[in-house]
Amino acid sequence: MSEPNVFPRRDFLKLVGLGVAGAAAGCAKPPADKLLPYLVAPESILPGVAYWYKSTCRECPAGCGVKVKAREGRAIKIEGDPDSPISRGGLCPRGQAALQGLYDPDRIQSPMVREGDAWKTITWDEAIALVSEKLGAASGSVVALTGFESGSQRALSAGFAGLLGGRHVMWEPFGYEAVRAAAKRTFGIDAVPEYDLAAARCIVSFGTDFLETFAEPTAQARGFAAMRSKRDDGFGHFIAVEPRLSLTGANADEWVAVKPGGEMALALGMAHVIVAEGLGPAADRGALASAVSAFTPEQVAAQTDVPAESIQRLARMFAKQSPSLAIAGGIAAQGSQATALVAAVHLLNHAAGNVGRTLKFERTLDYSGLASFAQLGDLVASMSSGQVGALVVNGANPVHATPAWLAVADAMGKVPFKVALATSLDETAALCDVVLPVSHAIECFGDADHVRGVWSLQQPAMRALPMFDARPSGDALIAIAKGAGKASDWPDTFHDYLRSRWQSQYGRFGAGRDFDTFWNAALQSGGVHEAASAQSVRWLGAPSFDAPVRIGEGDFALVITPSNNFYDGRGANKGWLQELPDMTSKTVWGSWVELHPETAKALGVSNGDAVKIETAAGSVEAPAYLYAGIRKDTVSIALGQGHTGYGRYAKDRGVNAFALVPQSTDAASGALAFQSANARLSRGTAAMPLYEQQHEKNQHGRAIAQIIPVAALMGGAATGGAATGGAHGDTGHAAPDAHGHEGAAAGKPARDYPGHYPAGEGVHHVHPSQTRPGKYTEPMARPEDYREPVHAMSAYVGKHQVRSPRRNPVDQGDYKNAKHRWAMSIDLNTCTGCGACVVGCNAENNIPVVGPELVKRGREMSWIRIDRFEEKLEPGHSDVRFVPMMCQHCSDAPCEMVCPVYATYHNPEGLNAQVYNRCVGTRYCSNNCPYKVRSFNFFDYSAPEKTTFAFPQPLHWQLNPDVTVRSKGVMEKCTMCIQRILDGKGTAKDESRAVRDGEIQTACSQSCPTQAITFGDLADPESAVHLKSFGERKYWVFEELNTKPGVTYLQRIQRDTMNGGHA
Amino acid sequence: MKTRIAALIALTTIAMAAVALSQSYKSTRSVAVELGMKKAPVQPIAYSHELHAGQLQMDCKYCHYSTTKSKWANIPAVSTCMGCHAFVATDKPEIQKLAGFFERGEQVPWVKVHEMPDHVKFNHKRHVLAGVECQTCHGPIETMPVVYQYSSLKMGWCIDCHRSNLDHPTHPTSMDCLICHH
Repeated sequence: MSEPNVFPRRDFLKLVGLGVAGAAAGCAKPPADKLLPYLVAPESILPGVAYWYKSTCRECPAGCGVKVKAREGRAIKIEGDPDSPISRGGLCPRGQAALQGLYDPDRIQSPMVREGDAWKTITWDEAIALVSEKLGAASGSVVALTGFESGSQRALSAGFAGLLGGRHVMWEPFGYEAVRAAAKRTFGIDAVPEYDLAAARCIVSFGTDFLETFAEPTAQARGFAAMRSKRDDGFGHFIAVEPRLSLTGANADEWVAVKPGGEMALALGMAHVIVAEGLGPAADRGALASAVSAFTPEQVAAQTDVPAESIQRLARMFAKQSPSLAIAGGIAAQGSQATALVAAVHLLNHAAGNVGRTLKFERTLDYSGLASFAQLGDLVASMSSGQVGALVVNGANPVHATPAWLAVADAMGKVPFKVALATSLDETAALCDVVLPVSHAIECFGDADHVRGVWSLQQPAMRALPMFDARPSGDALIAIAKGAGKASDWPDTFHDYLRSRWQSQYGRFGAGRDFDTFWNAALQSGGVHEAASAQSVRWLGAPSFDAPVRIGEGDFALVITPSNNFYDGRGANKGWLQELPDMTSKTVWGSWVELHPETAKALGVSNGDAVKIETAAGSVEAPAYLYAGIRKDTVSIALGQGHTGYGRYAKDRGVNAFALVPQSTDAASGALAFQSANARLSRGTAAMPLYEQQHEKNQHGRAIAQIIPVAALMGGAATGGAATGGAHGDTGHAAPDAHGHEGAAAGKPARDYPGHYPAGEGVHHVHPSQTRPGKYTEPMARPEDYREPVHAMSAYVGKHQVRSPRRNPVDQGDYKNAKHRWAMSIDLNTCTGCGACVVGCNAENNIPVVGPELVKRGREMSWIRIDRFEEKLEPGHSDVRFVPMMCQHCSDAPCEMVCPVYATYHNPEGLNAQVYNRCVGTRYCSNNCPYKVRSFNFFDYSAPEKTTFAFPQPLHWQLNPDVTVRSKGVMEKCTMCIQRILDGKGTAKDESRAVRDGEIQTACSQSCPTQAITFGDLADPESAVHLKSFGERKYWVFEELNTKPGVTYLQRIQRDTMNGGHA
Repeated sequence: MKTRIAALIALTTIAMAAVALSQSYKSTRSVAVELGMKKAPVQPIAYSHELHAGQLQMDCKYCHYSTTKSKWANIPAVSTCMGCHAFVATDKPEIQKLAGFFERGEQVPWVKVHEMPDHVKFNHKRHVLAGVECQTCHGPIETMPVVYQYSSLKMGWCIDCHRSNLDHPTHPTSMDCLICHH
């Protein structure tokens, strides 16, 4: 005990506080604030109440349905629309970050015209007059170059170009030309097929990042999660065939490290086995057999580096687990035979009888009309030869997103007049003569019809930002056309144009209503959709299968990957996405080169050293990232960075990997052959830092990320061989003894108490002190009639408790009356590591972006992170685990007991609360938190006058008014979105009822495309979170510390692919 | 020895605090001090709550309609005032001032009266729907020709009410920090 007459600590603090208060009072009184009312109050809009507008996401061509949340006329959050047939509630990180495109501080302020090397600001009237005159003069040789457009915008652009005697060229860097060409060649349909992952029992991906950028990532992630959750029959395997293990591949049960370019041969080899052994349906067997006759497993093995036995095993499993699904077409496998690869995979699907079952043509993506890369090349050639009199660029950035050898910039120099319709001054707009600032998608109307059976609408969620003199691009095009004396029959605004075009949808869906009623209803529901009618397809035969060609010299094959954060680079001007770690390398704010540790050793480079990649097209230098998930003869670099303009967040970050793509296309489709370069590697000269957010990817046996063999979940039906696949000395292989699944635990030490670690290599914590009987603990003993107060509930129930005077939780006042225990369950089986939750949390909780240097020092502010643990990264059985980690809201929280000022405490509903105005910044709590989920404001990110200000105008418009913007010197952490909990409870009170399960969602649980995160009331025995937290697969991170977390993790289900697909 | 060091630190702190306090009192008044004096600011239009809410007995929620629907109370739009004053008392100079604002399309720059401390969220709707009278916090507003801040709006003042209603039969309060501080 302390001495009796010691100066009381609290009094001391009070006195210190008094001194500070006195000093503060010495400052001048701020001027009185003004309260400005509306002049005329808008109907049905109340200050303080959020309004939601359904719309369509425009961050990539997929076009997911979204809801935009607006407060006081400002869009502050984007969420997936649960009613959308595409996104179904989830949204990817890029979609979540669209807000930062809207509030980008580097958006173009007003129309500008080039004068020498400088820009001169002009008015819209002057700009329209100038552009109309120039385009009118160039009539006949005008080209409108746009990104992918759908619906009315596409019709308008085409009409615009037609009226001016020119043509409309739509082009996307990821245009999936090969997927479309292959679908047309093999099935006669020019579209990206619908991949019904949920219906599949086995998925084989041939280098396709279907959980990241390919086709419709959100919908595919949802289907993938549904497929992976099935375990009644033990199926649901996923095999990734790729030379470099992508984020999508990291979710696989087996990594087939195929030789770069060998994907097609492997698919055909598998088809050969299926056809030869008669494993699939009999249809077209003869035609298929002749198409694949040359691809015997032995021959394929030589071409692919995959043993013949593996090919046979995979083929048999693929055929047996019908319906299965093979997916190809991703950028990371788009080589000089891209179409043949997709056709080969279609052939494989057809041989296994998957067509129409998992490979469908109902909800297809119609990208027809997109120019191929080769067609873009033709355009560039005609620009170079002076045949293009004027170029209108709208929503495309070919200067950044094409290889340098295409010389788009030079060709633009030969075009007499170029005008860009852009939100930011990207590399292409910077080369134009006139720049017209256009509205962001959240500010204007639009529609999309490229998903079969879906006509989605895009509507403004707010009035256009006043600091930017922007107009909807449709309005600008109409004004230019009218200025040139054309389009007299067009309405004046794109909104009217859109409405007139929707007469056709009105005819189909608007029966019994007038148009305005139909239109408003469609806006409110985000559009109209119908069940897509079935399209019967038949096998039209395969193209010839030639081996892809690699260009250039060098010992290494180069794999160029699309970016989960930036897509092709269009997301790079958003701080949230720059600071969202790449989920493979866990680096931020820059580029990196992935190479195998042995390759690096031979080269003499270590992690973070600069390396130089040289291909026939060019060379770049970037820091090395040593990654065992890549073949030793392969190096990899991601697209997206290396902007020379585009805004403060994008400029001069990393390198542009397009510079490495050699001069090669897929002849059958005209697609750019991204994956066709041989590369030379050497030590770099320039010093470039590698900004790593997570430095350690080994859990050192700490059982942070756990797995469980699927056999252990199937009751007595287990074959028992499952646990052998990835034996790696962790508790995940041992099923919880409480469930009595002995089959899986065979040969493993029994778990005699929670948190037991079997001894083994790399296992550090063999004797967790707090759950073992001993000096610090005593057996858990409760009176018979003991009823735990809800705030102290945790799904974790220890057998021992810490010997402490405060072992019995508070049970009085608020703590006695509370009815809820807010808690969360996180299913590691469906978490794909996409990072949507991180961006969703940033948006909801006003989390500042701190920049690369601070991230490197571990000072990132994000409240939720995704830890990546690499248990095993070898060809064959790979084992990568993602753990979303946020405040665990412990019932016995280590942080609470060390706070000297009670700034962090346990609230009556079980939340671990942080009171900012109490916090004095001792950081004791963070030191004592075993999960390291607290972040400290080392700088004033919220003070506009500081250089560290994180929300430069107008980014601060995005801030959520319901959440405090924290200032320097306070600790902060996940609140489980207390503002959403209070809103939900308020709604229930208004309706005089109890809170419904699922009614309250945190930002992370809402954003999750796979619904891996479940939030709810643990005290409600019917709630989803209760059922999951007390169900099988449950575990707690560091449960041995007796923190009694409110967050329960569900073990990842491990499936073994080695024994031919038996569970 | 420990005790002595602690006492020494304490004394030094007290001395420093005293100096700081005396300095600050001399130079300026803090916001809190001014509020304690119940001083009403000069408003751009001499609007009287005494007349509207007192003599005319208008319902507070006629103008401040969002108090039952939103966490934020609204200041009535200029158009709300003009709803009556397009016809009523149009000859009075203050009403003509108001009409001037409306015709010019200007918002009336009302001076903010109620200053809440930082880092606190107050939900009007929850309090009003729970039956808390406007006057409980805003004072006898129907007698105020010019509104001043009646209550301190400091945490101790909030807590007084919350503590005494912990066991309220229909609307029990909470003493949880997180309810207001998030």
